[in-house]
Amino acid sequence: MSTHFSISHAPNLLHAVARPLAERRPTLNELFVCVVLLTPVFGLAMGSFDVTGDRWLYAVFAAVKMPLMIAVTWAVCLPGFFALCSVLGLRDDLRECLRAIACGQAAVAFALASLAPLLVFAYLSGVNHRWALLLSGAMFALATLIGQLVMWRRWRQLVRRAGRHRLLLAYWLVAYVFVGIQTGWMLRPFVGSPGIEPSFLRAEPFSNAYVVVAELITGTRR
Amino acid sequence: MTTAHPPGRGAVAALDRLLRGQLTSAFQVRTGETLPLKVFVPWAIALGASYGFFMGWYALTGGKDDALRHVVAVMVKLPLLFLGTLLVTFPSLYVFNAMLGSRLGFRATLRLLVATIVVNLAIAASLGPILGFFTLSTSSYGFMVLLNVALLGVAGLVSIGFLIKTLAALQFQSPEPDEMPPLMSVGDEHPRREGTGLWLFVVWIFTYGIVGAQMGWILRPFIGAPGVPFELFRLRDGSFLQGVYNAVQHML
Repeated sequence: MSTHFSISHAPNLLHAVARPLAERRPTLNELFVCVVLLTPVFGLAMGSFDVTGDRWLYAVFAAVKMPLMIAVTWAVCLPGFFALCSVLGLRDDLRECLRAIACGQAAVAFALASLAPLLVFAYLSGVNHRWALLLSGAMFALATLIGQLVMWRRWRQLVRRAGRHRLLLAYWLVAYVFVGIQTGWMLRPFVGSPGIEPSFLRAEPFSNAYVVVAELITGTRR
Repeated sequence: MTTAHPPGRGAVAALDRLLRGQLTSAFQVRTGETLPLKVFVPWAIALGASYGFFMGWYALTGGKDDALRHVVAVMVKLPLLFLGTLLVTFPSLYVFNAMLGSRLGFRATLRLLVATIVVNLAIAASLGPILGFFTLSTSSYGFMVLLNVALLGVAGLVSIGFLIKTLAALQFQSPEPDEMPPLMSVGDEHPRREGTGLWLFVVWIFTYGIVGAQMGWILRPFIGAPGVPFELFRLRDGSFLQGVYNAVQHML
């Protein structure tokens, strides 16, 4: 199967990602290219809340940070996935597992890119910063749900082969969400706060998202 | 078909085959030849040191005096924690297991348990990047304590699953020595049960967990509380459970 990727392949690839088709299996290279090319589209949209002056930089930064966020999360979670895959005796299925995860990720990328025009439209309609954050978050959540659905379609076949695949999936979901939230927190801002000069990362030192939430809940946040 | 020696070359191939369950069929465990201590004890030390390396990062990022010494100390103490706990708990397990009629020999039992510890530490080391990643962005000591407990807990659960699966296979394939065919695998037909004392191993796992937790408490500091100067060991007071409770309080 060719690993060559061009824009003319896009509709085929979308269907091949969405459903496990016998006649068209997306390669890992294609899925990788898909994520690298499509996630920045949503990043551009997210960062374009305010493009006056040099604030257009937010859009560029967000476009760069989207694939970076996914790459960092993958890199941090993969060693554990590989070790667990080995211990559960599922190494022969490793490639299929990675393909299922990558398909889920590509589905998220497709969904986010398709939602980008809606987000820009909402921005142009004059939503305030709070609504911009909420809308971006909601679109992320929706795209993630789609990604889970697509991944599960493939994973279901693996589970039929060996029930232990459920454990592997559970690890991936928990680790990916746990690390992904923190990566997103460290790489913020994506939308860009009014009144703050554009910068790739916040000027303050890195902090822990979960500790911040705990402090907010207990009212101890300074 | 199984072989007594791994066909792959070197220690990495041996570790890979162990993780994939290719060295722990009933026959292999009984003979113990596929789980040589001279290969897997160094692996336990290396993998423990690897997790200890990530664990020590907190002291590095906190700008602690003697942070490098702390990292090195943790890299030494972590394998010591696991192997030391085995040293304390193994004699009672072996004696009670033998009394209850298990035919698993001294060396075979020891090799199986060292292999289980290697699996435990391999999983922990593979989760090390998650620990390192959070260390870079976290100043909360309580969070780091809880994250370490969670990651080591996951690694522990996986290794318990590995041990129980191996013992269950052993329980269903225990021919008399004079009946033992030259090569056997888990999938052979007509399995027979033997009282290998699976439940005793479960009791041992609990004992190992409790002793291990307390051993960890004795060998602390591992993470390195902020504002506390480097010390190889702390004064012995309190217990592991009290420490976890304090970490939750500290985080909130």
